[in-house]
Amino acid sequence: MSAPSFEKPATAAAPVLEVEDLRVDLRTPRGTAHVVNGLSYTVGPGETVAVVGESGSGKSVSVLALLGLLPARTATVTGRALLQGEDLLTMAPERLRQVRGPGAGMVFQDPMTSLNPVLTVGRQLTEGLRAHGPVSKAAARARAVELLGEVGLPDPGRAVGRYPHELSGGMRQRVVIAMALANSPALLIADEATTALDVTVQAQILDLVERLQSEHGTGVIWITHDLGVVAGIADRVLVMYGGRCVEDGTVDDVLERPVHPYTRGLLGALPDLAADPDEDLATIAGTPPAPTDLPAGCVFWPRCPVRGDARCETEQPPLAVVGRGGAGLPHRAATWCAEREAS
Amino acid sequence: MTAPGEGAPDVLVSARGLEVHFPIRSGGALRRTTGALRAVDGVDLDVYRGETLGLVGESGCGKSTLGNALLRLVPPTGGTVTFDGLDVTGMGRRQLRELRRRAGMVFQDPFASLDPRRTVAQTVSEPLEVHGLHPGRQARVARVRELLELVGLDPAVAARYPHEFSGGQRQRVGIARALAGEPDFLVCDEAIASLDVSVQAQVLNLLRRLQRQLGLTLLFISHDLSAVRHVSDRIAVMYLGRVVEVGPAAAVAAAPQMPYTRALLSAVPLPHPELERSRQRIVLRGDVPSPSRVPSGCRFRTRCPDVFEPCPDVDPALQPVGSAPGHVAACHLHGVVGTPVDGSGSTPAASGPPGATASGVRGTG
Repeated sequence: MSAPSFEKPATAAAPVLEVEDLRVDLRTPRGTAHVVNGLSYTVGPGETVAVVGESGSGKSVSVLALLGLLPARTATVTGRALLQGEDLLTMAPERLRQVRGPGAGMVFQDPMTSLNPVLTVGRQLTEGLRAHGPVSKAAARARAVELLGEVGLPDPGRAVGRYPHELSGGMRQRVVIAMALANSPALLIADEATTALDVTVQAQILDLVERLQSEHGTGVIWITHDLGVVAGIADRVLVMYGGRCVEDGTVDDVLERPVHPYTRGLLGALPDLAADPDEDLATIAGTPPAPTDLPAGCVFWPRCPVRGDARCETEQPPLAVVGRGGAGLPHRAATWCAEREAS
Repeated sequence: MTAPGEGAPDVLVSARGLEVHFPIRSGGALRRTTGALRAVDGVDLDVYRGETLGLVGESGCGKSTLGNALLRLVPPTGGTVTFDGLDVTGMGRRQLRELRRRAGMVFQDPFASLDPRRTVAQTVSEPLEVHGLHPGRQARVARVRELLELVGLDPAVAARYPHEFSGGQRQRVGIARALAGEPDFLVCDEAIASLDVSVQAQVLNLLRRLQRQLGLTLLFISHDLSAVRHVSDRIAVMYLGRVVEVGPAAAVAAAPQMPYTRALLSAVPLPHPELERSRQRIVLRGDVPSPSRVPSGCRFRTRCPDVFEPCPDVDPALQPVGSAPGHVAACHLHGVVGTPVDGSGSTPAASGPPGATASGVRGTG
């Protein structure tokens, strides 16, 4: 949880990550895809920022770009992304390699994309440890056992000798988290890290990340489409649509008092375990825009149930402050609706 | 949908002591059978006519295999299934074909379950041809139009191929195909799992509308408890090959009576930050045991926070629990009812599966 500050948020401690006007274009056979279009946010130490959106909203690409994981030939990345003051986007590749690990760890949806099936868990963990510092084999192994214990793997002494296929999905994801946390990174990026897991295992992993985060003061970017998960772990939320941030603010502001019609639509579309299911779920008509052919005005305009004047169609709404949350953190939305509602 | 208290509910599909065991073979040349993976292991379950029964459980609990076994898409190794009074397990070829018409299936992945080289019209009209329905080209074309409209697609899309559609639209095509034979019963196996939230909502609404409009009986298999709660009249919870709790959806969701159901529900993340912060989450220890090594007695006992003496020794039977009629759970906390593990003198359960329930083989914990 972020420490509530008084006037200006995130000044108590320097932010771990500062992203400014991040843009990603991908060259495709069908033309240039504008996947991320001017994204700015910060992550403070110990803070969890959830990035939510549906498939194709650009949420994954936006973090892959940060760590230089997009194909250089087809991707054009501009903007600034300061990780502890150093710009990731202009960094030399060797420096970037040093930063991945101790600076920023990453956990993907499918643990098998991060694990090598022919190496033992211990081998993969010690490799990461030894790549970033002079550590003896024995010390690295001892640390690997310790890490596996920390992420709650039963019998870590034996688990280091196991191969990924001998572990369940939940245990594999724990191993990947152990790998991501091995060098105590300042920033952890989790991309749909619990999406493939059962709810009970997901609960275990979420607990684990929260505990480790509060112990190490790690800043976390949690990418997910699951607003339930967001409600449980996030301090702040950033809603993405068409490669833009359409709404951000504290988790309470965004989920309890959403302003943007898209955020409202998403929340309305969720079946609620606690509510009486007599009514139909709200739906959002149409499909998300193709990143090769984004609408000129508000990105959500073609699907918006409350679209108004010609302005929606022609003029892009800026991300404007619509209110302030508990700790004085701004609640912002990129929509002309808020203005219309107010007047 | 069902009217409890007005005598016996009208049962459309029924499983008794249903088992689907897959042999585990050794790697050697002899391929000896060294054990059994008990995917479905003694399930008693009724699906009432006209209801939506939600079937929930974690991956590997056997819910998909159960759905397949009810339609005899996998052969049961024990127990019985009846469909509208007919014995599914003993059906001959002709009867089985009629079952295929009367019971449809909607699959999880709308990308994998549609033939990429067939147009929507070809896909949807195939069941019509197979079952000799709406004979004549024109009648079939008209019926395809009707089906596409029914699932909310523009009939003009009939000539298009699956790759031209989004995930939600493909799932609608899959539903149209499943409805082509005018089935009584539809099994939806994780039918919304691969769709985005806003599209999930569209498909859930569609299923609910179709169910009412056509008087369908639905088995809605999903790991998403919120979605199941939304569409279901009753909910059945599976754990490690066994149905461990069944009841009216509201009762199961609001007042679960089996510790596993409680843990499962408490783990569902809700999109309300304040609620999430105050909620007490029951975090289960460890992983689900392998279905090839099922614990003795109650199969949830190795992870149960409320485990006590009889749990390893008596295999619990479903018994009435809670205050809602028709709410049953297999849990000794409500009184020790079930089959002792040593196999001697069983307490009468709903209906004992004939002969070997492997209860003697189960070993001591």
